[in-house]
Formats: sequence, C-alpha cells, structure tokens
Amino acid sequence: MEKLISILEEIHPGVDYGECTTLIDDHILDSFGILSLVSEIEDEFDVEVGPAELVAENFNSAERLWAMICRLKEE
Amino acid sequence: MSYHLIAYFAVFLPATILLYQIVPQRFRFIVLLAADYVFFWLISGKLIVYLIGATFLTYGIGRWLDSPKIAQGAAPKTVTKRKRRILALGIVINLALLIVLKYTNFICGNVTELFRMFGWNVDFKPIRFMVPIGISFYTLQIISYITDVYRGTQKAETNPAKIALYLSFFPQIMEGPIARYHETADDLYAGRGIQFKNLKFGYQRILWGLFKKIVIADRLYYSVSYIFESYAELDGSIALFGAIAYTGQLYMEFSGCMDIIIGSGEIFGINLPENFRQPFAARSASEFWRRWHITLGTFFKDYIFYSVSLAKPVKKFAKKVKEKCGRGVSKFVAPTAALFCVWICNGLWHGANWTFIFYGVYYLVIIFIENITEEPMEKLTKRLRINRQSRVYKALQSVKLFVIVIIGEMFFRSETLADGFAMFGRIFTDFHISEYFRNIFSLKLDAYELIIAAVGLLIVLAVGILHEKGICIRERISGWRIPARWGFWYAAIMLVLFFGAYGSGYTIVDLIYAGY
Repeated sequence: MEKLISILEEIHPGVDYGECTTLIDDHILDSFGILSLVSEIEDEFDVEVGPAELVAENFNSAERLWAMICRLKEE
Repeated sequence: MSYHLIAYFAVFLPATILLYQIVPQRFRFIVLLAADYVFFWLISGKLIVYLIGATFLTYGIGRWLDSPKIAQGAAPKTVTKRKRRILALGIVINLALLIVLKYTNFICGNVTELFRMFGWNVDFKPIRFMVPIGISFYTLQIISYITDVYRGTQKAETNPAKIALYLSFFPQIMEGPIARYHETADDLYAGRGIQFKNLKFGYQRILWGLFKKIVIADRLYYSVSYIFESYAELDGSIALFGAIAYTGQLYMEFSGCMDIIIGSGEIFGINLPENFRQPFAARSASEFWRRWHITLGTFFKDYIFYSVSLAKPVKKFAKKVKEKCGRGVSKFVAPTAALFCVWICNGLWHGANWTFIFYGVYYLVIIFIENITEEPMEKLTKRLRINRQSRVYKALQSVKLFVIVIIGEMFFRSETLADGFAMFGRIFTDFHISEYFRNIFSLKLDAYELIIAAVGLLIVLAVGILHEKGICIRERISGWRIPARWGFWYAAIMLVLFFGAYGSGYTIVDLIYAGY
C-alpha cells in the first residue's frame, strides 16, 4: 500500500491519498494519469490491468486501487 | 417525424403515454417496443429490417459470448481467444454494415481521385444507399453491449425483447444519447406506471428543449446557411460571425433535442444519460469534450482510448521508449497512439467528409498540446506567481477555449475542407469590422430576429450558470405557489409559441445530428 501511495504521489502530488475517495469523480486523475498509474502498477506489482478494470469503482481511492491490485494478483 | 414537430410531442408521444398507461404493467414493454418500431418505420420505412437484424445479431453474439460451451474443457487463454474472435465477429459485421452504407462513396471517390493522380482513368459513379435512421448511434450501443459481455462486466441478456428495447427506444434512436446497457435496459422493460411528477418534469424539459431548438437554433439557421454558402463574397468579419452563429445554432439544436429526448424518457421513468453539461464553462479542450456530447466521448474513452492504450503492442512499444528515453517521454506514447485512434474515429463517425476528419485531427493536436504543456505551464505560472484560480486567468482560458471551438465548428460546418480553409483565411486577409455592422441586418437575420436569438442565448447562459452552481430550476419552480407556477409555465409556453421560428416564411429545419 505504501508503494502504491508513493506512485500516486509521484503521478499527482498534493493529494491526501489516505482520505480521498473521489480521484475519478473529481477528475483528480484524468485519463492520462490513469494510464501512467496503470503502467506503474503493472511494473511494480507484476499484474496485468485490462480495460475492463478501468472504472471509477476501482480508481476512486487508494484503498480501492489496492483492492484491485490484490484481486489481480490472486487471479 | 422528428422530435421538434408537433406530430411528435403533441400526438405521437401523448398517444404512446396513454396506451402505455392503460395496458397492464407486464405488457407495457410491448407498447414501448411497438411505439419504437412505428416511430422508426415512419422515418425509415422498410429499412427497419436493418434494426431488427442488428437486434437478433446482438442478442446472438451476447448469448454466444456467455455460453458455457465455449469454456468447456478449455484453458483460460483458449477461452479468451475464442471469446475475442466472437466479439471481433460481432464488431466487424456491425461496422462493415455502417461503413458500406455511410462511407462507400467517400472511400471509392477518394480512391478514384488517387488513381487519376497516377494517370489511371477510373470511372466511379456514386451509389445511392438508403441509410436507416440512427444507425451510427445504435451501432455504438451494440458495440458497447457486446464488449461489456466479453469483458465480463455485463451478463448476456436472455430476453431478446430487452435487447430490442435497448437498441430502438424511440426518443433516443435519432440522436442518442449513446446509453450503456445497464443504464437503460431494466427501466425500459420494467413498465412502471406514469407518475405525475415525471410527466410534469418530462414535459417541462421538452418545453425547454423546444425553446432552444425552435426559438434560437432554427432562427440562426437561415443566417448560418447564407453565410456558409456565400462566404466568398462576404467580409471576413461576417465569416467570423457565421462561425460564432453556427456554434450557437449547433449547441442550441443538439442540446435542445437532448432536452426533448431526455424529457420524453423521464415521462416513462427512464433516465437517459446526460449529453451536455455547460460545455462553455470548460477551461480546456479536454474538459470541453467531457461536457459536450458526453456519451460519445465516454464511448470513445471506454472502448477505444483504453483498449488501444492497454493493447500489448502499444505497451511493448511504450516500454522500449521508456528504456531509451525515460519516463518523461514514454508516458505520452500509449495515450498519444490511443488519442490518434479516438479522434480519427470521432471525425469519421460524424460523416464521410474530409471536413470531419480534419475536425478530429484538429482536436487531436489541440488536446495533445494541452497535455504536453500542462506541466511546464504549471511551473511557469508558479514561477511568475500567477494565480491559476483567479477570475482573470479563468476568463482568459474560457476565451481561448471559445476561439478553439469556433474554429473547429467553422471547419465542421463547411461543405469541403477547401471551403473551410478559404473561410478561415478571410478572417485574416479581409477583415473589416465596419463591414459587419454595415451588413448586420442583411444576413437573413433582421433586427427582431437578432434580438430574439441574442436574448434566448442570454437566458440559456443564465440557466447554465444556475445549473453549474447545482441549482435545479424545475425543482425550485415546483415549490412556488400555484398562481406563480402556472403563470410561469403559461408564459414559457407562450414564449415558445410567439417567438418560435416556424409557420409561414419558415421551413422545417431538420435535426443536424440525425444526419450522422
């Protein structure tokens, strides 16, 4: 989780990722940001993120992102 | 039949509401489906076979994708491969039909021109295809549904009637919005009774849409048509006015029709997705496209942008770039490849003309520049101590966006790309503001009409500001006392009746987006 937060901070600094639950709804992460994030997640956690995963439900908070990473790791 | 005609909102729609309400709940979906097909038949006649064929194909592809047989005894990779082939089959059939009907003449015409350039004299006679209404819209709905089933985010529908309703709902068949299956299918099939509040709010929204379409857009239509046809003899200042007026016409017409469409759905308790959200309140071209024709942008984002960005060859290439040039450059590789596909598709989707392809490339370049300059701009403004949240900065961004949109619409509306460039060129080579003021009332828009259009646009602007602040005007008005409320709506109806551009001296202006 710490590694994920540091990736997020690198991509879009100045956000409280522990608290924020509207990363997509408030356009904090735009589509370019999402793709950068996906690329970093794939490299760092050795998972493959498909287009079906790119929904607000998975990307709105660090917690949801972490849940998606854990699920993809299990698959 | 068209949404802004009395035959629709005063005859067809009330008749459907009445029939829908009087039949038992379990048969109401049949009334809706019958209304859908009658509506389609009234516009496209026998071409309804395309829609019915597409419905069965969509149903079949969905069931096939979800069939347990394709997964029996096969490894997960083999199952994915099989599913991908079925999805490809569904997409190719639908797109092939769309391409043949809409783009054959454009493709053959351009290939013929190319042959002639090399000295081969090929003769091509354009073929007149009959294109069913709404094919560009329902084809995208089909692609979204079967892709969602393939991705596993949507269960395949086992009831063909639901698919038929989803693809043919009469208020949205001509102009969208492009809805996702989960957004409308259940509501369409539920057959819930008509609620007074829905009926009231639905017709209020239809009235607002008619105001935008008949009072503003149709009034600007004559002037816009005249200027775009005669720009070669007109001053650059008038060409600029034409582009601004067209932007207003298109926005009022398309968003007005969306109000009629969404209001019609609301009456039946069906929440269609919004297609506009105060686009001119945006501060960049990217944001503009998140507020203008939202459902088309969302479709392209979900099914082209992300699919291309996450495609294995694109990822591999991005990784190679990262190794050689670093993250700063590589992060643009996948999005740029995807943006290219999105904007070419966006342009082509609007029609078979180089003007539309140029329109797509135009936004591709602008959005690309916006993306690569975002970080440096942020640093620069910080260093210069410029407050990006200040009113002046925001106003300047709005002006910049307005100019971008107007230039785009000028090319979008032009008959040919050469016309677009010639008209654009006149603004810089033959611009005399005095000429505009000298001819202001001879541009098929007299003083009376100009004032009505301008006041109408100001009303829309004021309503937009309230919406941007999250104020729901209909809810507010419904809280007023009866005399004030009834007085307001009576005045609103009279406003449309008195100031609408219809009747003698006016022709019925076809819906622009119904042609795409």
